[in-house]
Amino acid sequence: MKKELVELKINGRRYELAIESSKLLLDVLRQDLSLTGSKRGCDDSSCGACTVLVEGVPMMSCTLLAASCEGQEITTVEGVAEHGALAAIQKAYGDWGGAQCGYCTPGFMMTVKALLAANPDPTEDEIRHALSGNLCRCTGYTQMYEAVRAAIEAEQEAGSRE
Amino acid sequence: MVDAAGKTTGAGRYTDDLTLPGMLIGKILHSPYPHARIKRVDARRALELEGVVAVVTGKDAPNKYGILPVGHDETALAVDKVRYVGDNVVCVAAVDEPTAEKALELIEVEYEPLPAYFDLEESMKAERDLIHENRPHNLEKDYHHVFGDPEKGFADADCVREARYIANEVTHAAMEPHSTLASFELDPHTGELGRLTVWSSTQVPYYLQHKLSLVLEMPMSQIRVIKPLVGGGFGGKSEVIPLEIIAAVAARAAKAPVKITYTREEVFWAHRGRPRTIIDMKIGAKRDGRLTAVAARVVQDGGAYCSYGVVTILYSGALLGAIYDIPNVRWDGYRVLTNKPACGAMRGHGTVNVRFAFESQLDEVAAALALDPAEIRRINLLQPPCITVNNLRVTSYGLPECIEEVVERSGWKDRHGKLPRGRGLGIGCSHYVSGAANSIIRSDMPHSTVNIKIDRDGGVVVYTGASEIGQGSDTMTAQIAAEVLGCTLQRVKIVAADTDLTPIDIGSYSSRVTFMAGNATLRAAEEVKKQITSAAARKMNCVPEDLVFRDDRVFKRDAVPSAPAAGDSSVVAGHVEGQILRGSLQQKRKEEAPKDWMTFEEAVVAAIDFHGALTGTGSYAPPAEARGGSFKGGGVGPSPSYSYSAQVADVSVDEETGEVTVHKVWAAHDCGRALNPVSVEGQIIGSVWMGLGQALEEEMVWKDGLLMNPGLLEYRSPSSIESPEIEPIIVESIDPEGPFGAKECSEGSLAATIPAISNAIYDAVGIRLREVPFTPERVLAAIRARDATAKKLDLTEGVDPTAPTRFREHGGALWFKGKGPTRHAMDPARRAETTMGGDD
Amino acid sequence: MSLPDFKLLRPRTLAEAVELLGKHADAQIVAGGTDLIPSLKQRLFTPACVIDIRRIAELRGIRAVPGQGIEIGALTTLTEIEHSDLIHRDYPVLHEAAKMVASPILRNMGTLGGNICLDTRCLWYNQSLTWRTSCGFCIKKDGDLCHVAPGGTKCWAVFSGDTPPALLCLDAQLEIAGPAGTRRLALRDFYTNVGDARMRLAKNELVTRVFLPERTAGYRGVYRKLRLRGSIDYPLAGVAIVLKRSNGHVEDVRVAVTAVNPAPLLVRGVEKALVGKPVSEEVATAVGELTARTAKPLTTSALTPEYRREMIRVFARRAVLEAARK
Repeated sequence: MKKELVELKINGRRYELAIESSKLLLDVLRQDLSLTGSKRGCDDSSCGACTVLVEGVPMMSCTLLAASCEGQEITTVEGVAEHGALAAIQKAYGDWGGAQCGYCTPGFMMTVKALLAANPDPTEDEIRHALSGNLCRCTGYTQMYEAVRAAIEAEQEAGSRE
Repeated sequence: MVDAAGKTTGAGRYTDDLTLPGMLIGKILHSPYPHARIKRVDARRALELEGVVAVVTGKDAPNKYGILPVGHDETALAVDKVRYVGDNVVCVAAVDEPTAEKALELIEVEYEPLPAYFDLEESMKAERDLIHENRPHNLEKDYHHVFGDPEKGFADADCVREARYIANEVTHAAMEPHSTLASFELDPHTGELGRLTVWSSTQVPYYLQHKLSLVLEMPMSQIRVIKPLVGGGFGGKSEVIPLEIIAAVAARAAKAPVKITYTREEVFWAHRGRPRTIIDMKIGAKRDGRLTAVAARVVQDGGAYCSYGVVTILYSGALLGAIYDIPNVRWDGYRVLTNKPACGAMRGHGTVNVRFAFESQLDEVAAALALDPAEIRRINLLQPPCITVNNLRVTSYGLPECIEEVVERSGWKDRHGKLPRGRGLGIGCSHYVSGAANSIIRSDMPHSTVNIKIDRDGGVVVYTGASEIGQGSDTMTAQIAAEVLGCTLQRVKIVAADTDLTPIDIGSYSSRVTFMAGNATLRAAEEVKKQITSAAARKMNCVPEDLVFRDDRVFKRDAVPSAPAAGDSSVVAGHVEGQILRGSLQQKRKEEAPKDWMTFEEAVVAAIDFHGALTGTGSYAPPAEARGGSFKGGGVGPSPSYSYSAQVADVSVDEETGEVTVHKVWAAHDCGRALNPVSVEGQIIGSVWMGLGQALEEEMVWKDGLLMNPGLLEYRSPSSIESPEIEPIIVESIDPEGPFGAKECSEGSLAATIPAISNAIYDAVGIRLREVPFTPERVLAAIRARDATAKKLDLTEGVDPTAPTRFREHGGALWFKGKGPTRHAMDPARRAETTMGGDD
Repeated sequence: MSLPDFKLLRPRTLAEAVELLGKHADAQIVAGGTDLIPSLKQRLFTPACVIDIRRIAELRGIRAVPGQGIEIGALTTLTEIEHSDLIHRDYPVLHEAAKMVASPILRNMGTLGGNICLDTRCLWYNQSLTWRTSCGFCIKKDGDLCHVAPGGTKCWAVFSGDTPPALLCLDAQLEIAGPAGTRRLALRDFYTNVGDARMRLAKNELVTRVFLPERTAGYRGVYRKLRLRGSIDYPLAGVAIVLKRSNGHVEDVRVAVTAVNPAPLLVRGVEKALVGKPVSEEVATAVGELTARTAKPLTTSALTPEYRREMIRVFARRAVLEAARK
């Protein structure tokens, strides 16, 4: 199939790519841009391992056509670490058992990033609901709640120091 | 966790994240028939498609393999027969995925359908058209064990309970689909294809190396297997999965690197999950609750290949022992072949379904004897150290404390049997091996070996074959090395699971890594430490016994500071200065008088100057006395140590809908010693949670050998919404042989969850469910059966979940009903067949 | 799994979209993609052309139309509906249904128009090409038989949207645009109850807006959904109810079911059973029976049809009582 020129904005950078119009955003990220942090876990838009932010909103990159995202700001897990250092949520997931095998973790990072951007101090119930679109097979989610709490506390502490 | 940053930033590489120059993508054509002979494969049209580089079939690699030496019944691609829908037939290697997918559609395969077997009890009656010719009655293996005198035991019993339990099939559903990348190098001497490197999502890189050698007819020394990050295993990657061999075969044919990553549907076909199991369980007890005898007949629906089947069936019998004191046991186990994807090892291997039956029935016995369910478990505790009636050696045994903890924390005494209708508490216990005492391939080889190298930079590099699959293997290894050497965790680097670099380790399965690879790490670190100690002692003018390693320093015993110098990195020489500076610093130190402490780096440099290279090796082999009995099948079940778990589940049952809500599970697990409490708690929670999935939602639904739910949308792994609070309680029995007293923590808790929930449902609404999962329709059907007054509805298609007799198939109809697809005239597949005939 | 080749068209305006639909006879429309994209992977569709309407700004948003009710653009996401104060206040049943759809991420992507036009689903249909080849094709795609009701010639694939039963209860109207202009259609006339020809929408038309009348604003509402997993799942059965009371008596009521028939359906006869009466356990039970009679679940989904129908009965009874309590 003939390729088309598409310009994508990913993690603040512009990429001009020649891709098939039937190509999924996930495949473009992984294959064309070597941004392999976003994962494929299912083929029926159920697992959330491929979650990215489109204009700050969590969406499944396996269910988006790359060409459809032209002109929109896309953030992948590679764009979460701030200034080359682990973001609070990344540190907390690592410290508190939020990530075991790590395969679903990039998706959770995006979901939690969006959650905390919209709601900096969510209740446990709000966290539980916000995470319900990402499947994890290792943790039973429990330690993730602790990790999100720890990240919020770390952020608050950092905020009060400033 | 030492490897967490790669996981949270996306920088960590899993197999599917890897690419090589010139890499091709492999796609596999699968059998549409459950049982058929392959008459003809024609791939000419596929080969003509632009972008297709190679097409391989069974003939390209016909050697048989299998994870067990007694079960070499698989080939990479089907040679003459296909045995399940999804069996592997042809592989195409092409420049990209769309091209490979298009090529598959151009391959013509002519099949001769054979009668297929889907129900395990039907399959056992088969006389002809056997799934494997050398397995009469489609029986993979049967075992019949008698320990003590079960007949007398039942005769002596005051109370005997007997029932059939059914457990439906579940699968690992690890988040990462299997992936393998295979690449050959050109041999500089012959100019032909030489060494092979395989990157694969595996729990067992060394077994993969071995099977590749067998199938490709290459020496193991010419094959390198590297395990990148693995996105969860749970047993599903604990043996060689077809794509791992197929990728190598395709790479050989294509003379280019080939990567194959399964679709989620293919993962379900590769399967190796927990088999559908029928358990006829019988328990006898005295009036005081003491067990007199247990009899169990276990039939497992193993699917089309042996896989781990012989081990799975043996575990179902062997681990009736080693938890309670049972004087008399009779066990009959049958592993049956059917035309479905092969079952294998899954978390809690072989023990889970039988434990559900046993612990549920134990509650029935308790009820009949008017005993508290927690009490009947206490009455039947073992008195370790002991050898069980089936020759299992039990040493550390934290079960009593586990029971005490969950009874206490759940408010059991005030709440069990006393909650309002619809709410209930249930208890269950389980246990698991800390690694099998006998390896799959019987030999005297150590099960784990670890090398440690420390260079002048003071960096501790640990080379281990143990496979990190998310369970914390690398972190555990680093912690043990750091603990022995008294150095910081940052100093320790782990090089793991690369057959060229790391010494052999048989893999991450049967919960063996902490116990075995941990012990090997401990021994390797101690060997290195001994060398450092002798050199440091010379420098410090003291005897080696006088030295203590702590906080990145080596102290004379009487100079150890009372408070650890945590965070005070300025005192650690070499921590700030660069490599070159350090040399002069060391020179300066040399001239100083003997001191009462040295930095770790100074001690290391002293040791290297004194001994030459600073390396150490440690290995672990289970002790002879832990290897079990000599009877047939006695090799499965023995372990150097067992973990124990007790759980209480708190549930609500909606009597109008049958919906079960689990509010909380208290799970106490005896892990010997928790080397990393966060990790141990994570493993306990994960096990309980996976048990909860099997108890309530997860089920592979079949219709005549066709899996109705081969995806994560329809195979329901629990979401965060219904996942309850799980309170992990660590119980430390300090095992005499485990590293620092540690033993298993990743599997033992799973099995107790299912009966704890089933017993809680009984406490809530008085129904005894004997078929798992307890989906709302089954629960409601059981409630309706209990209330003879309520309107009876055939809610589960003729199967009463309180007295199940057979497995339920999905409703609806397959057009061919087990005869193979007699295709409808309008079916495009048939139209294609017709035109195809014209071409010949 | 890659997608089949197609040409992607990305209109910026409704007029452009309508023009493209007129030109490309077998085009598929994609908005959120949560229904179409997995189906493309399974080769349930192999369109020559896909029209991506995500950029058409005029089809987004929720707007109050004084004196008439509200107007919701077809591209409004389910998350936007879930978080709309206006809808929460005036049409609570839609709020409840929207927040029960799939998962938060899927609601960020999925649109109201997409939920209304959702393809009917069946365990024998929503499978990969390989699976369907193995099984034998069915009447809905490439074959001419039904695995669910063998011997029949009707497709029983089940409508599995969560919001349409709520919209039916609210007397929603659709605006549909096509080459011949726009037309309005009551949602209750939109569905056919035939699994493989589910809606009265021409190939060259698209749903553009949804209107909710002022008359049903403020009706109490409840949506109950049967699912095995607490999130992500499509409904296995669903009941929506709206109710208006005055002086303790029911003045107006509507009940609709979903996921148990090839269309979401209003339950007939509930007005007669309830209007003019106070809500009691007895009338609630009667509504439960009526609702269960409307449900004709078959083996299209997980759980047995018998159970799903039984849950329709229980959910409807409970929903009546709950709506009355609100």
